[in-house]
Amino acid sequence: MNTNSNTYTVIYTTLVCVLVAAILAFVSQVLKPKQEANEKAETVSQILTAAQFGSKSEWQAMGNDAVLKFYKENAAQAIVINAAGEKVKDLSVEKIEIYSTSDLKAQNYNVKDGSKMGEAQLPVYIFSNGISVIPIYGAGLWGPVWGYIALKPDLHSIVGAYFDHESETPGLGGKIKDDPSFRAEFEGKSIDYSDEKPFRIVKGGAPAGKANAIDAISGATMTTNGLAAAIVNWLKAYRGYLESGSSAAAGNACTESVCETATEE
Amino acid sequence: MSNLKETILNPILKGNPITVLILGICSSLAVTVELKGAIVMALSVTIVTGLSSYVCSLLRKTIPNRVRIIVQLVVVALMVIVVDQFLKAYSYTIEKQLSVYIGLIITNCIVMGRIEAYALGNKPLPSLLDGLANGLGYGIILVIVAFFRELFGSGTLFGVPVLSAIGYTNNGLVILPPFALILLGCIIWIQRSIQKDLQEK
Amino acid sequence: MEYLSLFVKSIFVDNMIFAYFLGMCSYLAVSKNVKTANGLGIAVIFVLLITLPLNYLLYTKVLVPGALTWLSPKFADVDLSFLAFILFIAVIAAITQVVEMVVEKFLPSLYSSLGIYLPLIAVNCAILGGSLFMQQREFANVGESVVYALGSGIGWYLAIVVLAAIREKLSYSNVPAGLRGIGITFITVGLMGIAFMAFMGISL
Repeated sequence: MNTNSNTYTVIYTTLVCVLVAAILAFVSQVLKPKQEANEKAETVSQILTAAQFGSKSEWQAMGNDAVLKFYKENAAQAIVINAAGEKVKDLSVEKIEIYSTSDLKAQNYNVKDGSKMGEAQLPVYIFSNGISVIPIYGAGLWGPVWGYIALKPDLHSIVGAYFDHESETPGLGGKIKDDPSFRAEFEGKSIDYSDEKPFRIVKGGAPAGKANAIDAISGATMTTNGLAAAIVNWLKAYRGYLESGSSAAAGNACTESVCETATEE
Repeated sequence: MSNLKETILNPILKGNPITVLILGICSSLAVTVELKGAIVMALSVTIVTGLSSYVCSLLRKTIPNRVRIIVQLVVVALMVIVVDQFLKAYSYTIEKQLSVYIGLIITNCIVMGRIEAYALGNKPLPSLLDGLANGLGYGIILVIVAFFRELFGSGTLFGVPVLSAIGYTNNGLVILPPFALILLGCIIWIQRSIQKDLQEK
Repeated sequence: MEYLSLFVKSIFVDNMIFAYFLGMCSYLAVSKNVKTANGLGIAVIFVLLITLPLNYLLYTKVLVPGALTWLSPKFADVDLSFLAFILFIAVIAAITQVVEMVVEKFLPSLYSSLGIYLPLIAVNCAILGGSLFMQQREFANVGESVVYALGSGIGWYLAIVVLAAIREKLSYSNVPAGLRGIGITFITVGLMGIAFMAFMGISL
């Protein structure tokens, strides 16, 4: 058969394309529910890790269901706020409604663009021990980076943080996830809105005694820059909530009524 | 049989994909900061190169010459993506660790390079072996480079402190990509000092 | 002004070779002399210039969730982004194939000197990298993606021509036997990479 004829080429290419698209669509449809369940458990475990309930490897060992159950038992409420810091709606703890990474990506369009900040709807996860967790999202070197920052009831002291990425270089940018000492640097630091950038990641070492700065990862300038920008952008979006909220108003000490609405759903 | 032996040994020594054919350089710069990543990458590339060479060799008589690049790449990408999707559903932890490498594997020139240069003109079984052997030759160089970079860049091996335990100050230059190039240059130098027939005039 | 700064930035600060180390294989292998380097460089600019805007349109008008609403509002929930990677690759491979056929027909001498590295443009990570960066940086319009493609293509072109010029000079130098040719090239590129890091802190 003449494999170089035009007809053959066209038919062959079309067949390959259709076949490949069909296989991909089929695989992605069939596996989607399972993948989404995995992703959800992963997100919840990242939130829990940031809030210092346990280490990432412990959650992995526990399995998806146990992680979700732990969240249900320990979360007091989850709310969605806007850039002004007002509560827009509740997220059900019982049904484990959380913002997935793609939800964060969608919100990032509003967050990084100052003019659209008003449209942003941002989640806050509040645990019964008073710790609040907020997400961040942005671009690293090769792909997106995101993570969670856990705050004490005063809403500016950082308890812990967890970061993840899609495709940063293993051993360099990948350290934002893999290097526990990088994450540990966040512990005991705090957010300072009087600074132009509420939180800084400083190349060459943070100045001693500066509470809102940590050291950058050496050799991973672009990933750290991206992560720092993501943190600053999202902290700016949360400013209204975090500044108003250091009192009981926004739910640090889960007031009776708020707790009830959360559990009723 | 001697032919088969040649197919397997050649890519590891005389026809090494990195030091002689100059393929797969980008990824060898990116994943050699630590040994663990280098080994994961080496294994994945070995498997993918072997399998995609095999599949493309099976299809070699049907592929029209004018669209062969598209067909080859689509076959490779399809296999990698499908495996990735399955891992994502059934073995999420492993997928989390491998996902970083997916893009690097598909665009690794070794995979395409071996299909173009070998699999399209040979039978499936030798193509499979050729792919596996090239992956292996690539992996060996990767591990050598990663060994030095992790040891002198972070003072550790497999994340376990070795040099840093005896008070070594990490050399920041070593973990930057340019140093991997210099290191590869030195490896080539050593290889060609031993195998003199590889030397250029 | 924004276009200009994006352009300059993608040539020097975000140089594909020296900042991201993408497209190294053909860069190292095909830089023996300025003439061939010139040919490959132009081919890369050309492929980037076509694939990037094309992939940009594909991504924003077809693949992103809700992108198909221009066809019919019913498609608002369709999410085809799982196809992004393979489509980008298919587009790149198709354009590469076209370039290969054109070069083979009209520039046979260049075709034979580029050898296997011409089809390998398809897996030149600089090109796929360009498309993935485009996706990640969320350019506002096609114009930006064209400027970015041109800038990063020129950056790659400049880098390979500079290296080829150095190698032409080097071929007259007395390099240790084992290092001759590709060995010394690796080391040269390593040193050039270190020098280029000076651009990294610059923000435009």
